Amino acid sequence: MSDFLNYTVNGILLGQVYALLSLGFVVIYRASKVFNFAQGELMLLGAYSVWTLSLGMNLPPLLVIPLAFVAALVYGWLIERLFFRRLLGESVFSMVMVTIGLVILIRGVVLVLWGPIERQFPVLLPTMPIIMGEFLLPTNMVVGAAITLVLTVGLWYFFNRTRFGLTLTAVAEDPNIAISAGIPVRRAVTLAWMMGTCIATVGAVILLNGRSLNVLSADVAMAALPVALLAGLESIGGLLLAGAIVGVIQSLVAAYVDPRIGGAASSIVPYVFMVFILVVRPTGLFGWRHIERV
Amino acid sequence: MDASGVFFTHHGRDRALVRTRPQLVSLLAFLVALAVLPLVAGDRWVSLGYTMFIMAIAVIGLQVCTGYAGQVNLGQSAFMGVGAYACALFLHLPQMPLLLALVLGGACAAAFGVLFGLTAARIKGFYLALTTIAAQAIFHFLVLNLPAGWLGGAGGLHLDKLGVLGMSLANDRALYWLCLAVLLVMTAGAFGIVRSRHGRSFQAVRDDDVAAGMMGINVAATKVRAFLVAAFYAGIAGGLWAIALRHVSVEQFTLFNSIWMIAMMIVGGLGSIVGALVGTFLIQMAREGVVSLGPSLVEIFPAAGQGLVFAGMNVLLGTVIVLFLLFEPKGVMHRVNIAKRSYRLWPFPY
Repeated sequence: MSDFLNYTVNGILLGQVYALLSLGFVVIYRASKVFNFAQGELMLLGAYSVWTLSLGMNLPPLLVIPLAFVAALVYGWLIERLFFRRLLGESVFSMVMVTIGLVILIRGVVLVLWGPIERQFPVLLPTMPIIMGEFLLPTNMVVGAAITLVLTVGLWYFFNRTRFGLTLTAVAEDPNIAISAGIPVRRAVTLAWMMGTCIATVGAVILLNGRSLNVLSADVAMAALPVALLAGLESIGGLLLAGAIVGVIQSLVAAYVDPRIGGAASSIVPYVFMVFILVVRPTGLFGWRHIERV
Repeated sequence: MDASGVFFTHHGRDRALVRTRPQLVSLLAFLVALAVLPLVAGDRWVSLGYTMFIMAIAVIGLQVCTGYAGQVNLGQSAFMGVGAYACALFLHLPQMPLLLALVLGGACAAAFGVLFGLTAARIKGFYLALTTIAAQAIFHFLVLNLPAGWLGGAGGLHLDKLGVLGMSLANDRALYWLCLAVLLVMTAGAFGIVRSRHGRSFQAVRDDDVAAGMMGINVAATKVRAFLVAAFYAGIAGGLWAIALRHVSVEQFTLFNSIWMIAMMIVGGLGSIVGALVGTFLIQMAREGVVSLGPSLVEIFPAAGQGLVFAGMNVLLGTVIVLFLLFEPKGVMHRVNIAKRSYRLWPFPY
């Protein structure tokens, strides 16, 4: 029984980290209706800049984190300035295709700058697990869950209660009308991409803490996809619940099904679950229902 | 637009694929040139040639699905893998004709594709692309986790020496001709599909699925059909791949390969079958160029090492895709058509 509870609690924590990664998808989607396939690659950029700052330049962790954020802001701005500003008002299709192009481009840039070898990601959070009674909790996951909670509340407030946050929704709905209504569309989209890269950097620090890092680390963002879809891509608060659900499912399958069939069923379960969600309820738990007009 | 002085008196002539005598002559000359190429070119070019033909088949399928029906498909490589495995399994049966195995492999891939296309009944827009990512993950999982006796697990499947219609496929030339023949059939088929009722409903759904639905097109069925076509083409390409390499393994069919195919389609031009062929040619040549220039680049910059070649290829490709989307979203074919038109109209502006 305590095993079961342990797996469940760890699953919830894992799910919160997935929710953190999916926040990156959601903020960009909320501000531009673009599904960013390159979210994992943004995480890769964040991870490698943290690696360079801490192990490459030997800076103390307290300096690494703010500098990594500055770097994230810079390349978030660059991506918007170079690619998405030119596509403002174009079809969503071509913007999504650009994010697919970015997947290849960013992987290539990372390979050129840092090479294909596997690297040790710095330990910025303590690796000793927290022991509470019968529970064994990895510290980085606990910190991650806490950060997810704070970020979610903050972003929820920003998107739903502040004037500028609400304009982002208008921008996503129709950038042309938003421009004529006097909304600074470029600034809004730039901000969304900067938030996306910053969230990706936070996710990298928490998820990769003390693990190995190479180009394939980016694939973890695809594992976060089911969480974003279950919550509904537009919902920020819903990510917490969706993350918990997906995390618990994956963790329980890993604990009870994997040993029996001798395979990695836990890696596939989120995807199967995702297809299931999409078929049963395409808008997710908290997504918006759109009324379409021709 | 036709050259000056060309008029058709029948609707059928206007719709024909090859409409004028010069077109027919140049098409035949091109095909003859392709067919005799392996007799004059070196082995490396021959193998590059049939790899290109195989990729072109898969990209044509993707073109119908994404370029015509507007459904982003990130699972083309997985569909290709299903076709490759199925074709290899069928070829293990005694007395199985190669061409039949190829078609059956395509059918298996099509069934797998339809499975994910079926979600289109409920899902709209880009969510559909996400189920194709799931297709990729599930394909990978199934191959690696089914009993090793079935699909060979991580080691993959091997094929013995093969023959088709009494011709041995042991040398590259025979493979080249087989792939060329299959590509011809598949290209003609694709032209047929996109000119048909189905092709027009694909385009209607791409341009506005709500409006298409109101005009009486069954939108969900059309999307399923688009996935069926894409997966069938991918399956045929995968079968040829298995026949050509005589070895199938899961790492040949990754999500990254699907993205390469999307790149080929974008460079060639969305919504153009010829564009799929041109894009495949250009990107494969660029890849080949990077691979063959790689060693000399490493000599110039010894610090970089071999890994840089692969990385450089990614940077090049990513930049090319993004630049095409930003500045020439209709691809190379669009430019070619503009050039052709202005050549024919010269000296008049329109």
